Amino acid sequence: MKKIIFILFSVSFAFLVLSGCEDRSDITGIDPILDGKSGNADLTRFVVIGNSLTAGYQSGSLYESAQIYSYGNLIAKQVNTKFQMPIISDPGTPGRMEIQSLTASGAVIVNNPNSGSPVNLLYPAPYNNLGVPGSLIYDVLFATNANNCANPPNEFFDVVLRNQGTTQLTQLKQALAQQPTFVTLWTGNNDVLAYATGGAVLQATPTNPIEFAQHFEDIGQQLAQSGAQVVVANIPYVTSIPFLTTVGPALATNPLLVWWQISLSQTASGLPATGLIYMSHEGGTNLGILPYNVGFADSASLRNSSTLVTLRGSSYAQLLGQPTGKYYRDFNLAVPLGVDTTKPFGFHPQNPFPDIFVLDPDEINTAQSTVTNYNNAIQSVASTFNFGLVDVNTLFTNIRQADFTGGYKVDGLTFSTAYISGGLFSLDGVHPTSRGHAVIANEFIKVINAKFNASIPPVNIATVPPSLKFTGKLGKLEGYPVVSPEAFDRLLF
Amino acid sequence: MKRLLLVFIVVFSIYSINVFAGGFQQNQHGARAKALGGAFTALANDPSAIYWNGAGLTQLSGTKLMLGTHLLFPASSFRGVAPSKQYSFMESQMFTPTHLFASHNFDNGLAIGLGFTQPYGSGTKWSEDWAGRYITTETKLQTFVLMPTVAYEVFDGFSLSAAFIYSFANVLIERMIPQYPFEGDAKISLDGDDSFAYGYNFGLLYKPTNWLSIGGSFRSEVEYGFEGTATTTGAAQLIDRFPKGDITANLTTPMNIVGGIAVNVTDDLTLSADYQWVGWSSYDVLAVDFADESYPDVSNPRDYMDSYIVRFGAQYDMLNEFSVMAGIYYDNMPVETERLNPSLPDANRLGFSLGFIARLTKNFSVTGAFMYLRGEQTTVTDSKENYYPVTGSFVPFNGTYNSTAKILSMSLQYDF
Repeated sequence: MKKIIFILFSVSFAFLVLSGCEDRSDITGIDPILDGKSGNADLTRFVVIGNSLTAGYQSGSLYESAQIYSYGNLIAKQVNTKFQMPIISDPGTPGRMEIQSLTASGAVIVNNPNSGSPVNLLYPAPYNNLGVPGSLIYDVLFATNANNCANPPNEFFDVVLRNQGTTQLTQLKQALAQQPTFVTLWTGNNDVLAYATGGAVLQATPTNPIEFAQHFEDIGQQLAQSGAQVVVANIPYVTSIPFLTTVGPALATNPLLVWWQISLSQTASGLPATGLIYMSHEGGTNLGILPYNVGFADSASLRNSSTLVTLRGSSYAQLLGQPTGKYYRDFNLAVPLGVDTTKPFGFHPQNPFPDIFVLDPDEINTAQSTVTNYNNAIQSVASTFNFGLVDVNTLFTNIRQADFTGGYKVDGLTFSTAYISGGLFSLDGVHPTSRGHAVIANEFIKVINAKFNASIPPVNIATVPPSLKFTGKLGKLEGYPVVSPEAFDRLLF
Repeated sequence: MKRLLLVFIVVFSIYSINVFAGGFQQNQHGARAKALGGAFTALANDPSAIYWNGAGLTQLSGTKLMLGTHLLFPASSFRGVAPSKQYSFMESQMFTPTHLFASHNFDNGLAIGLGFTQPYGSGTKWSEDWAGRYITTETKLQTFVLMPTVAYEVFDGFSLSAAFIYSFANVLIERMIPQYPFEGDAKISLDGDDSFAYGYNFGLLYKPTNWLSIGGSFRSEVEYGFEGTATTTGAAQLIDRFPKGDITANLTTPMNIVGGIAVNVTDDLTLSADYQWVGWSSYDVLAVDFADESYPDVSNPRDYMDSYIVRFGAQYDMLNEFSVMAGIYYDNMPVETERLNPSLPDANRLGFSLGFIARLTKNFSVTGAFMYLRGEQTTVTDSKENYYPVTGSFVPFNGTYNSTAKILSMSLQYDF
């Protein structure tokens, strides 16, 4: 009996110890580890061509902690393929925009005074990420360095392309030199964006759509000849980005600006229309007494974004109604003939709000019809050469529409196009956050999977960290987001 | 920007704490009971009867003192968040619920006892960058009870007992808060204590013959009113928006009703069994109130359900001086998987125990026990726990839990 008890005791003890070591997890179906291929899609030599959006530029800068979430790198990780990028150490070049302070109703955003530097300039082959911030469609075909691009100088061409001596390869040629199995192309955004963000002043017209179509077809042909699988993306309407949609509605709803009183006094002084009065070089009204035209944007058109005020003008929008010529002083400009800076800024035709910060209805039309023309060209090239087409424009339109119906929901998260709080756009109001990149990457993956019968898993967006950065400091200011105009001095798209 | 403020308020309102579910009820009150898988209610023949069944005190002669502790090593893993199957492991910690029991029999049917023990004393800790960090990083609950007990043998073989429970407790709850849409996490820490809570219990023991005994016990709910502070660390730019300051929270530990039976199969072999009903439905909502009116008070559904534990034990007396024991324990998960939460990785648990009593001298004995508890693997596919608590977002915390615990127990008993 005692022997039996002892044996029972021992066996039980052994069982206890053993069952403690065994992993009984019965989860099966671990995702297969991809090797750069899935279905018919072959991403073993994967190259992405584009501009700042492709480079992973965020908050006005290119830096490592943003680059690693560029959509190209996210796709490469999902399919487990090699992806080399022109990494620049944090806080990037130029020093990225950061939030200095937040109050219940406002934000102060400044540039990080430090800057990073390239860390793998010596990588002995072209990079897989050939996104060059500031690149136009012309540049994809023709630019090889900082000085022969469309808007020189742009050092990013040297950082990414690293051409030396007689070997001068463009973005496209560097892509083809890698004998790529898979190429994505997303270009043309800058050809219209700089027009829109500079109030149609910094760049007077977008790239001509006919020129755009020719260049795009040229690029498409060369990619098709290489035998690579190709996916191209089209261009979103630029007029819905927070860079353009933030300040106007904030002005319209600012309780300090009593629009009906402003309107009454403007009517009383005999003006034909009322509201924000801005200088206009294209359209606008010639009042007969001034050597320039002025446009009018009442509070309703500011609120519904039929006239847009850029984020770059946010600090001047704070001065509305004051007798000030700060804008001309800040930018070292001569006060134009007919302007009297003792008049209420932005509310009097003799001290109009600067043209450069306003995109008026005519200019918005120009931007939108240009995008439509570009997208037609992109679609036509995609169908000619049997490329996959990522409809970023529809994606973005859907996201923008969702702003008015509770937000864009994906992976359990809710996004909007709102500046800062929306979660999709970085502090420059133009470029996506890391999560914005994840949304874009998933759109590419969707198209790749459909086009090439692949099953690349989408990125789980909730696992991508938020990417708006704080400074260590604390400041305070009331009101809507205020961004120093210098913060955008080197903004590249 | 108004919306931002809302983000952080809502972040907090989804805050969940889950301090004292099944796994937090520590049935660790003496190595003897542990060795028998906890099937001790109908035996109750050492001073730990004060916890298990006070009526058992009438069986004990003279004055006895018992002191002991348990080394408790819980372990849990989580694979997820689905569709990811990435492993996260709970950080290893050791807990030492300790007990002290004293009993005295007046030999006129009346016996008294005083017990000090920790009915709830455990916690969970996960790293500050793990997948579920917005649900929990650390949770710790310790309750201490002092139980003066009176037992009386009403007639031969039939005893009743009553005890007053005085309890004090402390709780610590920490987790991260996403600073969305900004980078980085903030950390919120709630800690509180209650220096006076009370309850009561009753016991019953009936021995119709010398080979059979039947026991029952009732332990009341204990209502704790924790008072403490919330502190948050995070980005300087956001710190004004995080909830902080004085808080109060009410928690009610469940009522327990236990019935047990013990049979002396032979002179050397005793078998025992317990059925314990646990009124976990007391834990239906968890509420935290902020003294500062500007933070909305929080009320979270926990939706625990009444549950049960069954226990079987066997003791074999090999020698007069030495006995061995073994036990089996089954604890039914008191919550639906949709509310399963890594602050308390609950499961249906099966436990096996082994132990011994060595009577080293006439007056002094040592009891040792080892219990291994295995939680049934539990896969959650319908979670209502949100692991990304920001405005407008609901990301279910689906995944697979596995948990085990090892408990090493030792009690020393001295008979005066």
